[in-house]
Amino acid sequence: MKKVFAVILMLVAGSVFFGCSQRKVVQPEAQQQQPAVSPEETKKKAPIRPEEKIAAEKITEQQLAKVETRDIEAPKYIEEKGVFEDIYFDFDRYDIRSDAKPVLEKIASWLLKNTSEKILIEGHCDERGTNEYNLALGDRRAKATKDFLIALGLSPKRIEIISYGEEKPLCTEKTEDCWQKNRRDHFVVLRETGK
Amino acid sequence: MKKKSKIQNPNFKILILLLFTFHCSLFTVSEAKVYIDISSPASKQLPIAIQEFSGTTGKEISEIIRNDLEFTGLFFLIDRSAQLENPSQTFNPRNWTPLGVEAVVKGSVEEGKDLTVVAILYDVLEGRELLRKEYSAEKEFIRPLSHSIANDIYKALTGETGIFRSKIAFVAEEGNGKGIFIMDWDGKKIKRTGLKGNVAISPRWSRDGTKLLFSAERNRQWGIYLLNLTIRTENKVFSSKGTNVVGDFLPDGNNFIFYSSKDGNPDLYIMNLKDNEITRLTSSYSNEVSPSVSPDGRYIAFVSDKGGSPQIYVMRIDSSDVRRITFEGSYNTSPSWSPKGDRIIFSGRRGMTNQIFLVNPDGTGLTQLTTQGNNEDPSFSPDGRYVAFSSDRDGLKGIYIMRANGESQKRITPDSIIASGPRWSPN
Repeated sequence: MKKVFAVILMLVAGSVFFGCSQRKVVQPEAQQQQPAVSPEETKKKAPIRPEEKIAAEKITEQQLAKVETRDIEAPKYIEEKGVFEDIYFDFDRYDIRSDAKPVLEKIASWLLKNTSEKILIEGHCDERGTNEYNLALGDRRAKATKDFLIALGLSPKRIEIISYGEEKPLCTEKTEDCWQKNRRDHFVVLRETGK
Repeated sequence: MKKKSKIQNPNFKILILLLFTFHCSLFTVSEAKVYIDISSPASKQLPIAIQEFSGTTGKEISEIIRNDLEFTGLFFLIDRSAQLENPSQTFNPRNWTPLGVEAVVKGSVEEGKDLTVVAILYDVLEGRELLRKEYSAEKEFIRPLSHSIANDIYKALTGETGIFRSKIAFVAEEGNGKGIFIMDWDGKKIKRTGLKGNVAISPRWSRDGTKLLFSAERNRQWGIYLLNLTIRTENKVFSSKGTNVVGDFLPDGNNFIFYSSKDGNPDLYIMNLKDNEITRLTSSYSNEVSPSVSPDGRYIAFVSDKGGSPQIYVMRIDSSDVRRITFEGSYNTSPSWSPKGDRIIFSGRRGMTNQIFLVNPDGTGLTQLTTQGNNEDPSFSPDGRYVAFSSDRDGLKGIYIMRANGESQKRITPDSIIASGPRWSPN
């Protein structure tokens, strides 16, 4: 067993030695001690170039000219804003507050009377969350209001929702007053085009 | 076998082996010389001198190279005023050793119709050229040309590929809405893609860098759009009622992950771009948003509020093995993987501000990288050494970059642009 081990050692040692002897032996520490070479000497020494000098590399870059936008459709609805007031939410929450209920009841009774109209609910947030998560929060705020209106007897088909997250603030100051104004659902009455 | 077992003393053999190994390892270091071991956190900065290139644009080119190398934190740039050797003089190691300089870059620029640049990198200790290369470019490509030289110098000294030609896609306000923009990684050459729409968000690169997916609201609907940068066209790939926001391309480039509230609440889906087939990954009453696919395509990091507050979770691509990985703080969002898949970077709320954090995919090793202002939407550079993010620390939101350990944070977009949502391109 010992002998076999010894043989393996020898083989490994041999191969390591062989591999080693193939390499260029350069010792930076030793060079540092030597007097620095003169420019002439530098020139005489054939420079070791990791890359053979080839034709110049041509550098270009794709120019981003204007991109053609496809799929621009005509709006489906004519929008009427300012018919109903906004309702507000607490920080990081999407449950309907009691002060929003009278507004929602007004909207529901109006829609029950005006049966050809639809309503779009925009969900908005203040800027304190992150953009993507705020889109989800705005979605939940609009959805909560939609569910409330359905509970008041409206058909889900007459209620569209969209979230704008923090993308469309009404107010841009960094104050609680301002943030409260932004944490809102906004209502838009939709009339189909051609009517 | 018998022949080779002549030496009887095993200790002697071991001694020989040890001698050879020691000998060898000593010389291997200088043979495949790596001037800076960038994988070692303790490696010292390499003292380097970037001399001003000759020619009228020489100053500009050498400044760009200098700025590129300086930001990496791996180099100690020797001040021009301390240099003994005039840029026009022949390289002489004797002029540099007293200053402790280990590498010198010289270059010349010829300006005809195009720019032709010769750049040379010298090893001071060995008194030899390490790199000599000629580049040519039309004059308008002076920056990509300079970044290419910086990449070659970086490669010669570290053995790694530099990121100096990479781009950052981001969102910026234009008119009353927001559009998708692309710039160089150093904040220069900002270009608007000119895409119409009310609000655009979340640009996401394909792994080959030729395409961008993003989300945009047009005509009161959130759609996911594919921008092909090669043929400069844009197509809608998905839209529905509710909120639809793209997460990431899958590594194959044919599928992407996104979140949508089309079926009620925000959930995760994968869509195939070839046959438009959609696979639903999650189905719950809570919010599942911001999916990010690991570089090997096997895992998804995402945000869920099923525990009562938005937190980062990791699951397999088939939606099995769901694990929560953040437990500190009540608002952790916008996860994104490191290129090696060994870290997840995200934005977490602490106190009343959002900060950038690193965490291992198993939830260990939580590290905070920022402290000033609100910091959001972190994204790794293709080599994993740097992070782009948005911050409002100086007033209006802009794009910042930093090293992945939080050092050297700096704003790269001008004050005139309100910018957010950066995504670093592949190399």
